[in-house]
Amino acid sequence: MDKRSNAVIGETLYTERLASGLTICVVKRPGMKKVFGTFATHYGSIDNTFVVPGSTGVTDVPDGIAHFLEHKMFEKEDGGDVFNDFAALGASSNAYTDYTSTTFLFSTTGHVQQNLEILLDFVQRPYFTTENVEKEKGIIEQEIRMYLDMPGDRLHSNLMEALYSHHPVRLDIAGSVESIRTITPEMLYQCYQTFYHPSNMVVFVTGDVDPEAIFAQVRRNQEAKGFGNQAEITRIFPDEPLEIKKPRVEQRMPVAAPLFMMGFKDNAVGKQGQDLLRHEIVMGLMWQMLLGKSSRVYAELYQQGLINDRFQARYSGGITYGMSAVGGETLDPDLLQRELEQRLPEATLRSEDLARLKQKEMGEMIGLFQSPEDLGYVFNSMYFRQIDLLSYLDVLNSITIQDVERAREGHLTAQVRSVSLILPLEHP
Amino acid sequence: MKHPIQTEAGFVGNFHNGVGWYVYPTKRFKTISLQAFWVNDLTPSTAAQGALLPHLLKRGTLRWPDSMAIEKQLETLYGASFRADVGKIADKQLISVSLDIVHGQYLPGTPDTLHAGLAFLEEILNHPLTPSKNQFAEQYVEQEKELLRRQIRGLINDKNQYAMHRLLETMADGRAFGLRKLGRVSDLDAIDASRLYQYYEKVRDQSPFVLLVVGDVDPATIESYVKQGWSRGRHPLGAIEPYTPRHHNHEVIEEQPVSQGKVNWGYATGHTLTSPQYPALMMYAGVLGGFPHSKLFVNVREKASLAYYAYARIDAALSLMVIGAGIEFEDYQATKRIVAEQLEAMVEGEISGQELQYTLEAFRNDILSEEDSASQLIGRQMEKILLGGGLTGDQLIKALSEVSVSDIRAVAEGIQLDTTFFLTTDGSGRDSDG
Repeated sequence: MDKRSNAVIGETLYTERLASGLTICVVKRPGMKKVFGTFATHYGSIDNTFVVPGSTGVTDVPDGIAHFLEHKMFEKEDGGDVFNDFAALGASSNAYTDYTSTTFLFSTTGHVQQNLEILLDFVQRPYFTTENVEKEKGIIEQEIRMYLDMPGDRLHSNLMEALYSHHPVRLDIAGSVESIRTITPEMLYQCYQTFYHPSNMVVFVTGDVDPEAIFAQVRRNQEAKGFGNQAEITRIFPDEPLEIKKPRVEQRMPVAAPLFMMGFKDNAVGKQGQDLLRHEIVMGLMWQMLLGKSSRVYAELYQQGLINDRFQARYSGGITYGMSAVGGETLDPDLLQRELEQRLPEATLRSEDLARLKQKEMGEMIGLFQSPEDLGYVFNSMYFRQIDLLSYLDVLNSITIQDVERAREGHLTAQVRSVSLILPLEHP
Repeated sequence: MKHPIQTEAGFVGNFHNGVGWYVYPTKRFKTISLQAFWVNDLTPSTAAQGALLPHLLKRGTLRWPDSMAIEKQLETLYGASFRADVGKIADKQLISVSLDIVHGQYLPGTPDTLHAGLAFLEEILNHPLTPSKNQFAEQYVEQEKELLRRQIRGLINDKNQYAMHRLLETMADGRAFGLRKLGRVSDLDAIDASRLYQYYEKVRDQSPFVLLVVGDVDPATIESYVKQGWSRGRHPLGAIEPYTPRHHNHEVIEEQPVSQGKVNWGYATGHTLTSPQYPALMMYAGVLGGFPHSKLFVNVREKASLAYYAYARIDAALSLMVIGAGIEFEDYQATKRIVAEQLEAMVEGEISGQELQYTLEAFRNDILSEEDSASQLIGRQMEKILLGGGLTGDQLIKALSEVSVSDIRAVAEGIQLDTTFFLTTDGSGRDSDG
């Protein structure tokens, strides 16, 4: 068992890596009623071209299959449903899929050991049949259609398609109604066997628990299953040009006012670990300094009536892609675009703002540990990018105003910029 | 007047003469959560003013004259998160200001963030920016009116919320609970900087005020702060008007260019949070559609594959229940039939021991988990204060565990369909590429 702490955050991470390659992490929350556990795999919607370990050929699978697989994991061989196994213990369970990972979770106020056992077992016991796969298509089709009616979701989705020509991050996580119709049980098994090996996964538990007891239980559970080693998974991504695909995309929907989102494709990709963490923190600070609620540009755009208080600017990314998204509702998308294009490169970046934002980040990092769901999400996503969560504040403190200035120069150029718009049906 | 609230383990405090303070002292959180409420009747003539007010409070104060200065102060307070907004419970509009801040004992140099937080709230609530005497900044008022106008119109962007609002509005038939918490666009024009300030003064000096705090805090600190600053002659909390149905099986179908149909059914239940039958009603709604093991999820989604979501939810203040699902347009009749069958099964008492057990356990988990969330604790306490009672925590779990199938049947027999609202396609096609 490895035990590491950070004095400023005042928290400890207990971790252990098993022979199969599975990593387990525990964060103690004394006095809390709820125990929250996740079992996550480093496999998301962008992993649709790969080499199955032990074979030589390249495999292509339909868009949306990682999310489809997530849904199907809840089905049991006896026809039952995993939700019911958790329900019998009074726990709630759920799962989500994003671009790079799939996470299964439970939340409980009792029977922690049994719940953890169910989590470990159902994620490692796939059962797909033609019948149960066909049945799921109707449900997922309704999930996709629900998102198609959400303007904010379309805004982001269309932006990704405008920024990227080939990288699968340009596709919706759930795929399309057409792509999911081609999914078969064989494809699901192939993806499962490739990406659900323990060496590609992590277990995270937080609550009023004893880390050693959690490790002992997971160890026992995994040893009984006798997992062998698995060779490294080769994930294949198409060559993505430096330039964006389209500078502007528009869609009309029943909305009250135009929705605007400006995106910047980040070409400084391929980083992982502490380099990636540093890059992400710099990007995050840059956007807070340029367009955060305490920034001059935000105040002026608000004053001009161009934005409202739900306007956002942020960076997000993984190992193979990265992008910034800036936007919200506006009555004059063209003017907002011109203002941003002009002001962002010119705005003064001040050291005193940076110092204050570091103080803010410190408080928020302490606050993160108060929310089991958010902590689980952040821990898992950092883990899969080989980032050490506890080093966050040290890296943060080492960042200088010159780092932020350099990030702006490299990122905010016209060649990597696209604008996505959702316009009202009656917009001129 | 003494408000008839019994404080249970957890929150300490009281509500007297229109002023309340409640503290939930705990060392479980590293943060302190403070939330202040002004409570007003939701009326057509004041709803828009009430919705606008928090936006003005956020724009500037005497000490921090613009939002940039306020935001810098929050960043200095270790990224304290601050909200000023408007909420709604039944026919009451709640203007609230909240602050979550890291407790000083977990920060380098152990700063006194509690007093800094109280000072911040005090500044926001009592010293808004008034460039000329007795009025807000005219320019800010006009800007915020425009933004609120757009926010009200923006309801259409969220089809779920839109369908839910249209259902409630139809059921309310002109009564206050059918108004949106944001008010109406038509009432915004008449508001100006001095009228809004007059409204603010009235709210500040007369509306019932409650401050709720969760964290490692001495209740005496909060008690003395509220007694010193807020004990003016205030109105008592008005009772919430109970809802009674005016329609029977009324159907409204609306067409729009959408990809998915949204169907919502609204029912009268006859029971609010304070009713002795409320635990039975909770079990009823839980077995019917509260969880993934519930009848609606299993039958509409898992067996028939008609929807991604299908749920039943009760409103504890209004004594109404809503069932909702997102479906294919042509599956409306099929979904309606399955939902009717499930309601009928409830009336017939077709509830297995397993359904009952799973539902009880799920509620137990929800109720206990709430204690790990300061904002949920505050929300639940506020609901109790407004409704004048109701069970929470272990007492509620105990009451739920004593509910029998015949108790649930008794509740089921009283459930009446008021209105159906179906948002469907206008036939313009589903071309998602625009």
